[in-house]
Amino acid sequence: MKKFFITVLLISLAMSMTFAQGSQETETGDDDVVKIALIIENTIDDKGWCQAMHDGILLAQEQNPGEIEYSYSEKMKPVDAGSAVLQYAAEGYDVIIAHGAQYKNLITEMSEQYPEISFAFGTSSDIVADNVFSYMPQSEETGYLNGLIAGLITKNNNIGLVGPVDGGDAARYNRGFVLGVEKVNPDAEVHVAHTGSFSDFVKAAEVAQTQIKSGADVLTGSSQQALGALRAVADYPDEDIWWVGQDLAQLGIPEGYKVLSASSYNYAAVINTIVDYVNEGVLGGKNVPMNFNNDGFIFEFNETTKDMITSEIASEVEEALENFKGQASHPTVASWSSVEYNN
Amino acid sequence: MTFVINILSLGIPFSVALLIASLGEMFNQRAGIFNLGCEGMMAMGAFLGMLVPYLVGQGSYVPGYYNYLGLLLALAVGALLGLVFGVVVVTFRAPQGIAGIGMQMFGVGTAGTLFRHFIGGTQSVPGINVAPIPLLSDIPVLGVLFFNHNPLVYVAFLMVPSAWYLLFKTPWGLKVRAVGTHPRAADSIGIDVNKVRFQALMVGGALAGLAGAYLSLCQAKMFSDGIIAGRGFIAVALVYFGHWHPVKIMGGALLFTLAQALQLAIQGLGIDFPYEFLVMLPYVMVIIVLAFSRKSQITGPAALGKPFNREIRA
Repeated sequence: MKKFFITVLLISLAMSMTFAQGSQETETGDDDVVKIALIIENTIDDKGWCQAMHDGILLAQEQNPGEIEYSYSEKMKPVDAGSAVLQYAAEGYDVIIAHGAQYKNLITEMSEQYPEISFAFGTSSDIVADNVFSYMPQSEETGYLNGLIAGLITKNNNIGLVGPVDGGDAARYNRGFVLGVEKVNPDAEVHVAHTGSFSDFVKAAEVAQTQIKSGADVLTGSSQQALGALRAVADYPDEDIWWVGQDLAQLGIPEGYKVLSASSYNYAAVINTIVDYVNEGVLGGKNVPMNFNNDGFIFEFNETTKDMITSEIASEVEEALENFKGQASHPTVASWSSVEYNN
Repeated sequence: MTFVINILSLGIPFSVALLIASLGEMFNQRAGIFNLGCEGMMAMGAFLGMLVPYLVGQGSYVPGYYNYLGLLLALAVGALLGLVFGVVVVTFRAPQGIAGIGMQMFGVGTAGTLFRHFIGGTQSVPGINVAPIPLLSDIPVLGVLFFNHNPLVYVAFLMVPSAWYLLFKTPWGLKVRAVGTHPRAADSIGIDVNKVRFQALMVGGALAGLAGAYLSLCQAKMFSDGIIAGRGFIAVALVYFGHWHPVKIMGGALLFTLAQALQLAIQGLGIDFPYEFLVMLPYVMVIIVLAFSRKSQITGPAALGKPFNREIRA
């Protein structure tokens, strides 16, 4: 009986670990290529955080044909990711990217063990070792653009912001968003609530429902949990309740008819920068920013809802976008860290 | 006043998944089986519940009966998993706690595997929408609070008196309580202990599957890995909180989700208070109530967690 039980338990474990495996995306067979390994906590098709990095690496491959070899490991909790790093290190990968600030300790530890390998993690501004890159989206820029739109669209002067946690690029996005709203509509109130999770979209939907019940007519949010909030907005198909998104993938889904605009991360900018550094012999010790200036962000209005975009909105966004593209650090959003909203 | 109405009207639908799953777990535990696998059963129900409307509609509108077909599938797979769990813990008398963890991992892992195979990435479905009850939903305040929800909300709250009646007023309920309290005595008067425990597990599993489907078809209207996010474990805790009684379990589920709706509303008010503490509020409230409950009140079924072997004298 014990044997049977142990067998059942092992099968269960095997089923739960099914995703915790790597996949070789491309292989060139050329010794001169930069071999990149990606470790992510969710999946490459999560329409959010992990997919953005995966897509970025694929784009970097397209932009640099034959120069990048790429593999990835999905569903890697920080405690499990160490074994994946060891495996990639043994297989001679040049760059190992652990996509998430939760991997910081692991990467710091591994970078000491493998000083000849380049590591990267983010989003973070921390520089932890000479062979570790960090990358940080300056998401106050994307938040600002969406804030301009939300501030001019709202009729109730009541805007909902569904945050995951108040940290990292989510905090930057939120504060940039508030700055954008304040610029065009000082009377509008931005009501911020956090779910405490990056992935619990049931709770994100609950937050959005709460905000809509309280009168919010434009909502936004970041990270993959935001999809739940967007789904809640789509439950009001005939009402003027809109969404401004932080991921371009949201434009192409059934709920996309509620999305006015979306700004996405283009991690290809990060990958290209890291590859350039590695080719120059620099293995780390740098923070790679992402902004409109270095093409780290992409912004789009939604063609489906373009009728909602007035000339005033379009010109405000266009002006801000030009300013962002023109300089790496823009004074409009430089004060993002001093923005205080409720909690 | 509007603030309070909003909290109440949101707390009620938020509570449904926990309420249904907890009622299912209550039947399990009343029969003497401690099922920590509730989370896994909910995950399977959540996936299979949305699979039917997803495959038929591929994101576009599908006739409502496909959603209900999804609910039936979730009920069926939950019952099947209850049966499988019964084979492990009733027939083979495996330790229930460890077997429950195995079931949790099996359910979550299998749902994730099937999800990746059949769907790929996070996808939404039109799902089951709000169905206001004619006339009643027009009553001021009460209409918004009680008669303006999706159909499963009404069903869930009707389950409470039904579960009470089933447990305390029917011969089957008496058998369930008997095998959970003193299985040897029940066996001595001719009750087939294992059979009743299997039945209770299938009922509990079916309700866990339905609770998962509520999340994917009614609340989030999408599925992704991790959709249950610990709600199965909260459901197990609510059974203790509710002292294995349907009405008290309903009270516990409502307290938890009203606290959840309250903390979300407070966050939105702009009060200068760390949100991390507000997110903790529902969990802290449950712990406080459990801590201050009299010990005599939280004595569970006497044979809870104990395998029954009629060949061995206890």
